[in-house]
Amino acid sequence: MKKYAYFPGCSLEKMANSYHVSALETSKILGVELKELDDWNCCGATAYFHVDELLAHTLCARNLAIAEKEKLDLVAPCSGCYKNMYFASDHLKKDPDLAEHINNALQEDNLHFTGNIKVQHLIDVFVNDVGLNEIKSKVTQPLQNLRIAPYYGCQILRPKKDSEDVEQPRFFEDLIASIGATPVDFPLKLRCCGGALIITSRTTALSMVRNLLQNAINSGADVIATACPLCQVNLECYQKQVNQEFGTNLSIPIMYFTQLIGLAFGIPAKKLGVGTELVSAQPVLTYAEK
Amino acid sequence: MPLRPSFSEEIAGLLHATHANPIKTCIQCGTCSGSCPVAKFMDYSPRKIIAMINADLKDRILNCNTYWYCASCYYCTVRCPRGIDIAELMYALKRYSIWKNQYKEGLVGPVFSETFVKTIIKSGRSYEPVLATSYLFTFGLQEMLMEAQTATNLMLKGRIPVLPPRIKRLENFKKVIQKIIPLGKPE
Amino acid sequence: MSQSKIILIIDDDPDFVDGLKSILKKANYTVDAAYNPKDGFQALQSKRYDLLLLDIMMGRGAEGIMLARKLNKDPKLREIPVLIITGIREQMAFLFPGQAVHPHLLPVDELVEKPVEPKLLLEKVSTLLKTAETRKAQTKK
Repeated sequence: MKKYAYFPGCSLEKMANSYHVSALETSKILGVELKELDDWNCCGATAYFHVDELLAHTLCARNLAIAEKEKLDLVAPCSGCYKNMYFASDHLKKDPDLAEHINNALQEDNLHFTGNIKVQHLIDVFVNDVGLNEIKSKVTQPLQNLRIAPYYGCQILRPKKDSEDVEQPRFFEDLIASIGATPVDFPLKLRCCGGALIITSRTTALSMVRNLLQNAINSGADVIATACPLCQVNLECYQKQVNQEFGTNLSIPIMYFTQLIGLAFGIPAKKLGVGTELVSAQPVLTYAEK
Repeated sequence: MPLRPSFSEEIAGLLHATHANPIKTCIQCGTCSGSCPVAKFMDYSPRKIIAMINADLKDRILNCNTYWYCASCYYCTVRCPRGIDIAELMYALKRYSIWKNQYKEGLVGPVFSETFVKTIIKSGRSYEPVLATSYLFTFGLQEMLMEAQTATNLMLKGRIPVLPPRIKRLENFKKVIQKIIPLGKPE
Repeated sequence: MSQSKIILIIDDDPDFVDGLKSILKKANYTVDAAYNPKDGFQALQSKRYDLLLLDIMMGRGAEGIMLARKLNKDPKLREIPVLIITGIREQMAFLFPGQAVHPHLLPVDELVEKPVEPKLLLEKVSTLLKTAETRKAQTKK
């Protein structure tokens, strides 16, 4: 059983609790142990970088150093947390002056960053560490005929890290196929959900959400799968506001990939946090009840 | 000795790669603007803003919404044929504008950033209800009601925390921060 | 009066640097300027300075602090008296409403807040130069 330091991030504590519980439930079945990082702090989101990047890197470095102490690779389910911690680690490794400066501060909390652990997104752990065959082998209720739009969003793939395909990725589609569902061709799958603009530039973000919802529905999707709490909240909780703003009548459930995998594993919907959504996931459940 | 820097060099100095000025290498191809999901809402597109930086149009840049509308999606960054990290450049402009205390009137972005940072310095974690106070006042009545309705629905579904979360070693955490930014004790 | 003292300014705000330069030059100092911490560090390594005027908020954040700590680690460079001139309180007022705290990073350093009155600036500069000289004389004994 592989063990990871699990960094839930601020959203998963409440707003995206269904992601949290479904991540834990499905991991258990896959033999992955997600040990919550002790006393973790916020990753800095995007706002920190506006003000002071050194401070932003320090916040991430504290989390990384805690995981290092436990000798565990760090896994984040939120794309924003993942991106911030991945690149903080990267910057500190490439800039010894920066690392020295931040380590001097981390001493105050008896911590030290060396950069000897990996930073991964939860979906990467599922697809690459666990593997699609392993996931397939645990499926008891294949989601046959359920058409899922794979929504990658931004920060799982961007900025580019190594040699990954940032223009035409396929791993989310493959993951969807592995649980017996049908991945639809979703042209805007890499397009931004608006992120924090939903707060700072509302109309702009709503129009971005509208484009995504419309495109997924036109693609014939029954549900959009996401791997990020901010994407989920923007796409789901603002559907009503989008319809009001643009006179549309869009409605489609937005679920975490871990919830969909959980349903295919036969885990009861309630244990996956289904029921806390504003756009009912009921239509999706019927595919898992055969 | 280095000469007095141009505005373009000033901004390049805020980026990670300070040894050369990447902004100057822009060929104005427009791939960034073409890839940007927000370009049409911006006062000037990313391509234009780069041209304006290189043309020293500092005041017009400080008074536009462009970088505050950047959603940090990094499409421009991964596609730029000259390898300019344009999204990071947008962060640098935000930083520049916050430090100069000069930005276009009516923007929510700066206030939100500041409130966010304050919340985390105090508790180590973010907390939605506090953040809401930074932007709700800018909404019209209709928007406010919609927002309140959404918040109520989320509350009913147990998705909004009642109490602000706090980390355990908060005192140490604050000391760590003091080492990075030497300011008076946070309240 | 002996040979004019050489001062290095490291500050990312070219307008502010211009102002400092003209005040200091009028008082007969020789002044160099670097506009980011990296160029500043290079200048300190390549030439001997009698005093350093250092800004805090530069580049990605409070890089002035980073630089001061780096100087303190160098047995030679740590002897330069440093006057930290910062607008940090105004730049970060939203963060902590309190006073800027003098971090005391080097053997001889002091902190003043922007904007600086020319008279105060010159006073601080000459006091720091004297303190550094006394310290030097003491360590030689």
